[in-house]
Amino acid sequence: MWSTAREIAAGDLVIIWLTRDLVQPLIITPGKDFNSKFGHYRHADLVGIPYGSKVASRTGKGFIHVLRPTPELWTMALPHRTQILYLADIAFITSHLNIKRGSRVIEAGTGSGSFSHSVARTVGSIGHLWSYEFHEVRASKAREEFARHGMNDIVTLTHRNVCKDGFTVTDAVDAVFLDLPAPWEAVEHAKVALRKDRTTRICCFSPCMEQVMRTVNALNDAGFTEITMYETLLRPIDVSHVPVLQPVGEISEKLKQAERKREDKRLKQIAAGRQSTSKRKREDEGTPVKDQTIMEEAAEEAAGGSKRIKTDDEDGAPLDAVPTPAMDLDPHEESDAALPTTVASPPAPSPSPIAPKKISVSKVMPEVRGHTSYLTFASLQPFEPPAEPAPSAAAAMLAPKPKP
Amino acid sequence: MIFAMTSHDASSLQELDSRDVTIQSGDLVLLRLPNGDVKGVKVEKNSTVAVGRLGSFHANELIGQPYGLTYEMANKILKAVPPRTLQEVEDTEATNELINDGEFVQPLTIDEIEKLKASGVHVSDMIKMQIEQHANYSLKTEYSKEKYKKRKEEKYSKSFTTIEPTLFNVCEYWFNKDRARIRDIRVDSLAQMLNLANIRPGGRYLVVDDASGLVVAGILERMGGEGRLLTICDTDSPPAYPVVANMNFKPHVTSGVLVSLNWATSEEDYIPIIPPSDVPPDQIRSERQKSRLNKRKAVTDLLTRTRDELFSGEFDSLVVASEYDPWSILQKLIPYVAGSGSVVVHSPHLQILADLQTQMRTTSQFLSPTITEPWLRRYQILPGRTHPTMNTSGSGGFILHAIKIYDDPNASAITFPRRTKPKKAKTEHEGIELFLHDAWLGPWYIGVRRIQRRVALKSPMSPIVLQRHSCMVFVYIFERNLHYVHAMSAGLLSRESRMRAMSRSGVNTFGREVYNQLIVQCALAANLALQGQL
Repeated sequence: MWSTAREIAAGDLVIIWLTRDLVQPLIITPGKDFNSKFGHYRHADLVGIPYGSKVASRTGKGFIHVLRPTPELWTMALPHRTQILYLADIAFITSHLNIKRGSRVIEAGTGSGSFSHSVARTVGSIGHLWSYEFHEVRASKAREEFARHGMNDIVTLTHRNVCKDGFTVTDAVDAVFLDLPAPWEAVEHAKVALRKDRTTRICCFSPCMEQVMRTVNALNDAGFTEITMYETLLRPIDVSHVPVLQPVGEISEKLKQAERKREDKRLKQIAAGRQSTSKRKREDEGTPVKDQTIMEEAAEEAAGGSKRIKTDDEDGAPLDAVPTPAMDLDPHEESDAALPTTVASPPAPSPSPIAPKKISVSKVMPEVRGHTSYLTFASLQPFEPPAEPAPSAAAAMLAPKPKP
Repeated sequence: MIFAMTSHDASSLQELDSRDVTIQSGDLVLLRLPNGDVKGVKVEKNSTVAVGRLGSFHANELIGQPYGLTYEMANKILKAVPPRTLQEVEDTEATNELINDGEFVQPLTIDEIEKLKASGVHVSDMIKMQIEQHANYSLKTEYSKEKYKKRKEEKYSKSFTTIEPTLFNVCEYWFNKDRARIRDIRVDSLAQMLNLANIRPGGRYLVVDDASGLVVAGILERMGGEGRLLTICDTDSPPAYPVVANMNFKPHVTSGVLVSLNWATSEEDYIPIIPPSDVPPDQIRSERQKSRLNKRKAVTDLLTRTRDELFSGEFDSLVVASEYDPWSILQKLIPYVAGSGSVVVHSPHLQILADLQTQMRTTSQFLSPTITEPWLRRYQILPGRTHPTMNTSGSGGFILHAIKIYDDPNASAITFPRRTKPKKAKTEHEGIELFLHDAWLGPWYIGVRRIQRRVALKSPMSPIVLQRHSCMVFVYIFERNLHYVHAMSAGLLSRESRMRAMSRSGVNTFGREVYNQLIVQCALAANLALQGQL
């Protein structure tokens, strides 16, 4: 399919990895340039370097990774002509349909070719994939793509509506995969295409339960057995490296300290108040005041002028304390660490004298794909009426009999 | 164009199959029993195979038969029965309104049933008899009747179905039997591992499999006898991969493909202690000694060749499902993986992979290490009774995938404006930034920008905290104007939520009132701050 050489050669298809969300295919054509916001590159400069290299931009700023194409990377990079199948579904279908080296497989429709590339890789040069697409433009685009990727020996692409016209092969394939709006219309045709000398399998890929029900009925009527249905998904997990969580003991120490400080301040104010009242008293030549509550009131009165300072103090404290937890909870911190780190770092040195250790924590990404499609599987058994002795596989192949 | 048979004729294709289409003597065959359990039996020519309480049968009955058929067992003879299709169930008005628990409804005693069983009455007749005797059967709903019949069938039927040992079926069998021994690798996890590792015929793979050989079995099946699979094990003899035995591979699938080293012999600077095999011919005293020496020489040569092969590297992928520290494995084996090759590590425990990912990020050999958890849900498919199955597997483990790369230490990352830290340069353009923290993050940010335009503050001031409508409003002073707010809001929100906020601005009903109040509050706050400073 694709180059297996260690180094990149002119004419190779490579995958350019810019970021996780920006992966694109490129055919190495010396003389051409590749420009992106991650720098400028000459195709000619990529020839001869090993696959998997990090390549720096000619301007010195920015880099790209040049990778060997795999069906999985192709799925990330391919030009979308339709909704495509992704890894979880592709892998599960391949496994359930028992697709392996030498398997012969039917796929309808071709769509953007995400599944086709994976199957072609898995069946290898001795296997075969018959792919059908009813949309003419998509079919010709896919055909060009398969040719460019050196898959002509493995894939036969046909432009036709299989629901109406059926498949082009009879008693030939091990597995059929139907990704059609109305798969039930193609089930009988699929039965014709499947070989009858061994267990063969079918998978219908439909996003809606109503489609599944109709498909199940069609499969059942056609004599398929072991009908099962699955849903499979990938849950991406986000790992972050964070400081060891603070024990509440440290917080309680901090609070106690703050309390002591406040008390000290109160006492100071009382002392200041007493001083001022005693001064006033001396001026007034009045009786001595011993009641502390009155003293306090007086103190507060006296502190009235310094209220400005007090509020500033109180504003300062919560502001230091509040943003830190708020930032820690911010789910978007990962990509843009600039602000959270600057805010979170100041309080770190104060609570623990030892340098903070870090731990890896993980959680499921906040937004995940919730549904792709239902995968309905069934198999067709090579059952012969028990009246005759079970024929050998070769005999069955020569004269395939319709099922009872 | 019509292909009746393709370019390859049938016989040559069958030779390429990884296993025989029919059951052979010596095969390990999986049988699905009426109650859904799967049992593995060894089928040897001219022997008798026991299937638990179902009885036994002559092994020769199965030999030569294709996989996937259902048989009824009577007097050690098997009779193939047609595969069962789903039966439509008529909906009825019946309910369980009049059915009470604990009622005596079945006059047929256990002894009578046992006698019937012994007399060889067919299971369907026995169930019929029970139904006739059942006092409340007619009260049951049709669904309930179906369930009853199915339950009785599971109990009395003496039938089984042979299961083709495909990778899917073998993995499912082991997962249900003893998931710990295959390290929780569920069938979907295995499928993803094989795809992520880009397993194809003719590839060269490096594998550490402490999962009873499940991963090895999967890779061998996909390679179909073409390519190289080098495994590293923890034993001094060739590793036992019991799952591989279930696959009933033809010899060509393993021989010439699978070779193994252990953790000692896979070290480049270690010199394995090998007894001499090159003995001068005059010192060989017996034929026995000669054959022993030849054998020893073959083993030694294989070891040397395999070591050379490992050390020359350029393997397409590294797949690990091991009980040992994955980081130590990666450090040892990554030099032998080709550039752009895949690294796939499976573990039943997320924490192990999380730590591994953190460690992988400290070096620059791995591109985008990513952890995913495969999720699978099976459905019961019955006409009118379709729903997810009640019992399902909780976890199929976790998979870490990365791509091996060759680093260029001189390459430097491009920096984009949104990633830069705002400079603290003092300028005369001073603005205010409102920092709103709430679940409604999206719309508030639109507010921020508007306020930005309204409140132009001329002098620096201390921050003010406003608490209103359960949302905290942090008012920060910022030594720049609008651009920063743009940058800040761009940085703090994900692209999606930003887009959502854009599209929802203005016409959003949530906010009108609260939003206006907020503007007032913010304006007040700003004024307050101004006054405080003045």
